Amino acid sequence: MSTEQEQEQQDLVYALATSPNFDQDGMCFAARLSGLYRSEDHGASWRPAYDALDLKEALATISVVLSPDFASDQSVFAGVNGGVLRSGDGGASWHIAGLGAPPPAVCALAVSPNFVHDGVILAGTMEDGIFRSGDRGRLWQAWNFGLLDLRVLCMVVSPTFADDETIYVGTESGLFRSTNGGRAWREVDFDIDLAPVLSLALAPGGALLVGTEACGLHRSNDGGRTWARLGRETIVDAVNTLIIAPQPAPQDILVLHEGALLGSRDGGQSWAPWKDDLPGDITAVTAPKGLAPGAPLLVGLADGTVKLV
Amino acid sequence: MTRPRTRTQRVVFQPTTYQGMQSGINQMIDAIRPTLGPRPRNVAVNDALKSKIEILDDGGSIARRIISLPDRDADVGAMYLRHMLWRLHEDVGDGTATAAVIFQTIFNEGLRYITAGGNAQRIRHYLEQGMRLILDTLSTMTAPVEGKAELAKIAQTICYDPPMAAMLGEIFDIIGEYGRLELRAGRSRALEREYVEGMYWDGGLVSREMIADAKEQRTVFENAAVLISDLDIEEPQHMVPALFVALKTGARAILIIGQRFSDKAKGFMIANNDSEKMRIMAVKTPQYGQDQIDALQDLAALTGGRPFVRATGNTSLDDLKPQDLGRVRRAWADTRYFGVVGGKGDPRALRQHIADLRAAHRNASDPAVRQKLRQRLGKLMGGSATLWVGGVTERDIDLRKTFAARTAEALRGALTDGVIIGGGAALLSCRPALWAKLAESADTDEQAAYRMLIKAMETPARTLIANAGGDAGEVLAAVEMAGPGWGFDINTEQIVDMAQAGIFDVAAVQKAAVHSAIASAALALTVDVMVHHKKPETSTNP
Repeated sequence: MSTEQEQEQQDLVYALATSPNFDQDGMCFAARLSGLYRSEDHGASWRPAYDALDLKEALATISVVLSPDFASDQSVFAGVNGGVLRSGDGGASWHIAGLGAPPPAVCALAVSPNFVHDGVILAGTMEDGIFRSGDRGRLWQAWNFGLLDLRVLCMVVSPTFADDETIYVGTESGLFRSTNGGRAWREVDFDIDLAPVLSLALAPGGALLVGTEACGLHRSNDGGRTWARLGRETIVDAVNTLIIAPQPAPQDILVLHEGALLGSRDGGQSWAPWKDDLPGDITAVTAPKGLAPGAPLLVGLADGTVKLV
Repeated sequence: MTRPRTRTQRVVFQPTTYQGMQSGINQMIDAIRPTLGPRPRNVAVNDALKSKIEILDDGGSIARRIISLPDRDADVGAMYLRHMLWRLHEDVGDGTATAAVIFQTIFNEGLRYITAGGNAQRIRHYLEQGMRLILDTLSTMTAPVEGKAELAKIAQTICYDPPMAAMLGEIFDIIGEYGRLELRAGRSRALEREYVEGMYWDGGLVSREMIADAKEQRTVFENAAVLISDLDIEEPQHMVPALFVALKTGARAILIIGQRFSDKAKGFMIANNDSEKMRIMAVKTPQYGQDQIDALQDLAALTGGRPFVRATGNTSLDDLKPQDLGRVRRAWADTRYFGVVGGKGDPRALRQHIADLRAAHRNASDPAVRQKLRQRLGKLMGGSATLWVGGVTERDIDLRKTFAARTAEALRGALTDGVIIGGGAALLSCRPALWAKLAESADTDEQAAYRMLIKAMETPARTLIANAGGDAGEVLAAVEMAGPGWGFDINTEQIVDMAQAGIFDVAAVQKAAVHSAIASAALALTVDVMVHHKKPETSTNP
């Protein structure tokens, strides 16, 4: 990140997003307290992405996602306090989508893997539950039927969303599932005492991983009916981010746990630091080329810096 | 309706008792039988009081319209059946025609056996034993239902109206089994639906002066505090602590819920309604009695406030604390309703409250109690749906609304208790278990009871086929050849795998129909003597 853009200590990185063609285009985004930043060189240099908005003060950005078809549609979505910003040109210009009054704080965004056909994107908010757009982020509507806890902390969309329309949402008090594309929600039988749920990951085979704030990591292989705790000895505190490899079991799993990265190559049976010499105080991570041994990770730090490691 | 008066009590013995009851039962069931299935025939009921003809195709309603038969012996049988069918209709909303034909088979076969020397009490015992076997077998066949497509298929088997089935499938996929659905007469021929975010109650603004948006005739507050009470607010100073506490919590708007507001209190609120400092609106406490207390408790769970309820002696606002006020993201009111969106209560407490209501709903046996609990749950689920039912004429709209209500009830049952294969195929599939019992029994009464039950399990399928104009014997023979799980699709007139064809019945409805029919028929078979009152009452309850 360039010198003039270096932020003070508390300008932490909330979220990172990389282009599906990261290898070729090197495009990635970092959502920070001081705004959204864009890099076109694999994270080597960064510049503010909101220049076109001509903002008078920093617009804290908590979440960011890219279209799965970013190479052709250049769609970027950023969650901010008050709504969702939408760009159709890779972040050069932005459209503001208000989500109604009072303005909600958007803390999680999830795009349908089938976005190119269904145009579905969901926004999770800190007090107002879930908003859904079926037209590529232009119009939004709250869909909170059955969502008994509106304090959304994380979301994950099924890799086979086109067929099963399944989405999971982690909240202050637990876990909810939608099987109709985010229009209605049902409680998942996840012990309320283990919540809040901070992170979620869903493998193509159906395995669901749930990272909690104070009760570690849990796995269900049957859609949330039964649960097993993973890494009981190692993962004891907040699991802020979960990434699972899209491969058959045993999956590679990466977790961001208390500012450090831990990994498992055996579906969660054993855990070890992901890599040697990683920086401390990691606040966000993404795996642009998967979790294969040696694949690079993009990590965001508490001081606002982002590194490819 | 008046009846001929009799001067003395009359005691009726066998064989007149059985003959009379059988005559009444068969008359009633013969009136309902044509309505079973997707190609029902209607029954015209001449309502002499209202001078109009009703066209009905629902067994429960037909039974309800028959309030007496001229032959008093026959009347006893008809009214006995009528009560059973209407109770079933009230409990599960459907299944009355199925129950009626099962009842008829068991009663007629049972009567034949008993008059030939069988023991009525023993037959009743074995019939009830076999009934439990049938219910257990149906339970093993029950599958959960999920998704709008599956729900729409089930809806179609009840309302036989594809656009309505599709719409109700979508609606229940969203609102769930407890969800609130309002059915209203549409303004066009089409069906329209709307989903409303948040919850709302009866009880509008106490003064039109509180309407902020004259065009919409409503007031909306953001991030409002809520005072939840059934108090009579006489003096303005009674509200002052609530306003101060709301200000202290950072709220700039407050919704005050109270049973009654004096003119002085209303004037105070209107005069102090300041958009810069504190906006105020007041609404009437919804509902009455225990329902009112329940509504206030639900509001408290939703918003995190404490209800001030006269019945608990909790009536003073003097020591009001910040945590006593509920908080919501949005509160709105018009002249008839008020609602909240995004209650800020503790989500764990809210989920526990809802879990308690669900458990109470599961365990409640009184349909009225169950309905109230369901309505409370529906309000807490985060939204509601409205379906505007259109049609060509007013009568058409009324008929479609009736079907929509019946279908909605059945879909709730399907979501709660699952589904079984339809078209009578599930009942046919119960026969192997009954055959096995028959084969291992050495008791003639028990054998007779199982034979009756086997025949009764075929009756719904036979009736469906016959009502559609088919040859029941021929079709059922083909179904037997096809094997378990296969049945006759009335619409395509093909023998199909019922599950694959998406032909389902609501498990709870079928089980309730089987239970009501067999238990009632078994009991009716034990009636030996009838006593007619001097002045018989017309059966109007229900």
